Amino acid sequence: MLKIDNLSAKIENKEILNGLNLHIKTGEIHAIMGPNGSGKSTLANILSGKKGYEISGTVTYDNKNLFNLEIEERAHRGLFLAFQYPLEIPGVNTSSFLKTSLNAIRRSNGQKELDALEFLKIVKSKAAELKIDEKILNRQLNVGFSGGEKKKNEILQMSLFEPKMVILDETDSGLDIDALKIVANGVNALRNNDRSFLIITHYQRLLDYIKPDFVHVLMEGKIAKTGCSELALELEKAGYEKI
Amino acid sequence: MIEELKNTFERFNKKISQKDNIASTRLNNFNEFVKLGFPGKRLEDWKFSNFYKIISEKFNNISVNPEEKSTFKFDNYVNEFKHNKIVFLNGYYNKHSFEYENDEKIVFDNLKNGPAHRPNGNNSLNLLNNAFFTDGLLLNVKDGYHFKKPLVIYNVFNTKENNNFFNQKLIVNVEENSKLNLITNTINLNTVPIFLNTSNFFYIEKYGLLKLFHMNELNNDDLNYNLNETSVLENGVFENFIFSCNSAFFKNDIFCTLKESYSSGFINGAIFGKNYEEHEIKTFIKHLGQNTKSYQKIKSVLDGNSKTIFQGKIYVDSNAQKTNGYQLNKALILDQKSEFDSKPELEIYADNVKCSHGSASGSLDENVIFYLMSRGLNRFDAKKLLIKAFLQDSIETITSEEIKKYFLNKLEILLNEYR
Repeated sequence: MLKIDNLSAKIENKEILNGLNLHIKTGEIHAIMGPNGSGKSTLANILSGKKGYEISGTVTYDNKNLFNLEIEERAHRGLFLAFQYPLEIPGVNTSSFLKTSLNAIRRSNGQKELDALEFLKIVKSKAAELKIDEKILNRQLNVGFSGGEKKKNEILQMSLFEPKMVILDETDSGLDIDALKIVANGVNALRNNDRSFLIITHYQRLLDYIKPDFVHVLMEGKIAKTGCSELALELEKAGYEKI
Repeated sequence: MIEELKNTFERFNKKISQKDNIASTRLNNFNEFVKLGFPGKRLEDWKFSNFYKIISEKFNNISVNPEEKSTFKFDNYVNEFKHNKIVFLNGYYNKHSFEYENDEKIVFDNLKNGPAHRPNGNNSLNLLNNAFFTDGLLLNVKDGYHFKKPLVIYNVFNTKENNNFFNQKLIVNVEENSKLNLITNTINLNTVPIFLNTSNFFYIEKYGLLKLFHMNELNNDDLNYNLNETSVLENGVFENFIFSCNSAFFKNDIFCTLKESYSSGFINGAIFGKNYEEHEIKTFIKHLGQNTKSYQKIKSVLDGNSKTIFQGKIYVDSNAQKTNGYQLNKALILDQKSEFDSKPELEIYADNVKCSHGSASGSLDENVIFYLMSRGLNRFDAKKLLIKAFLQDSIETITSEEIKKYFLNKLEILLNEYR
């Protein structure tokens, strides 16, 4: 699904990623942990197409060169990034934004666009499944949302778009235990043999609820260690220094 | 251009004086105009735009042809809501229908015999309007009457090169306890550029309510100067919304005097400037009575070398204690060459007042664009969504649901045509 080979990235001459290699097969869940400033969010941003980085190396997504795809094309082809800090967009209604996005993705895949009623039915049932209060649908996008509400909104989008490859960028940060469960349930509900996940996190806590196939430690811009889910527990006890 | 205009005026006044008896008033106003000339940057009220330059570039000559008969048909009415209508074709009254109302409560006159009110010119374009005005409307809403449906004035043009200068007046009295929702809709069906010079006067008596809206459907070469003078008496309310778009030059010069206590004035606007257009909203709100309230929210989007100007003044008289005045002006600038000028002013002579103003401009936030694109929108659609959200914020100030919806539709149409 996703093959990252020798990926390096600089921003304003500061090296952030430094020869990173990571292969994620279809249906796998990978977790990336690492100290602050190790390049986790940069990796997520580069994968979803954020500009401003000087990049070398190759990334193949779904057998295509990822760097040849525009930001929205990556979304159309099923790549989804749940933002660490979802943006507040005043004046944009959450529900109509979700509908516009979903229809843009459907249109690009040759599917029929949903009308307002069809869309509402789907989004409401998704919100109910995830135990997300549907009131957020009528509010302006992320405006005045609590940290938890913003992250839940990301999970709602993930579940609505049904992407093939999901990147969660520290979606667990700042969440209380109930919100954390909503996030984990969202991921677990989508988990299947056709869908892959890359979970970026600081804490082992989320991995109590979502059992990854692999855990990687990102340090100084590359993968320093790879293991199974027990690695997360080790890190929790011993910290990153011993790696 | 002024020399040619003198000849035009002479011919015009000779012809029209057979119909009305204010030839000397017209002449006086015209002579005053000649002394002042077209407004330009040397005047404080016009400091950001050179009107003389704009009109000289757009027009070889401006001319008035009072003989012209308008034979074209217009029936492209607003279909979003039921309404009463008055239609003007090429500056002249054509027809009206007050089908939803009680006619006895409405005084309606088309001003062809000269204006009932002769306001003194306070700027040269207004003087020109006094000299050249051909038709207009006098409307009184009487005896505490509430209009059941909005009234739309369609001001429609379809003209030839030798008749491109139109001067109209609109005089509306909303008497004690009366209510009216009035929409003025200016439409040019032809590609011949026009210069439309309108002077409007609104009188809102005690507990009266006037909601006034303006929609522009002119062309890219048309000029429109619109003067609005409003006075509001005790507990009267004036709500004004302007959608400024689709014209080479469109200036709204708004004077609102809150004469008596507890009167209020709301002036909101959405401006969408593109293709070298120039839009200006200039407001002067005078608080004369106690406990008066004013609110202004003007939002502009600028693209394609356009220019948007906001000059807003709140004046609080020494008697106008407990005034509450608010003014906000924001611009979203989409290209490098557009220009946004803002001059907010407060002039306060009372000591117990609450007044604030704010002005801000910025470009699109790339992080927001990235977020929207990562959800499948292409860059242009993301941009359009943000423009819509930005302007919608001022359209949302409209307190009449059906009219709000109408303007939201207009914004949608404008965005669909936007490239």
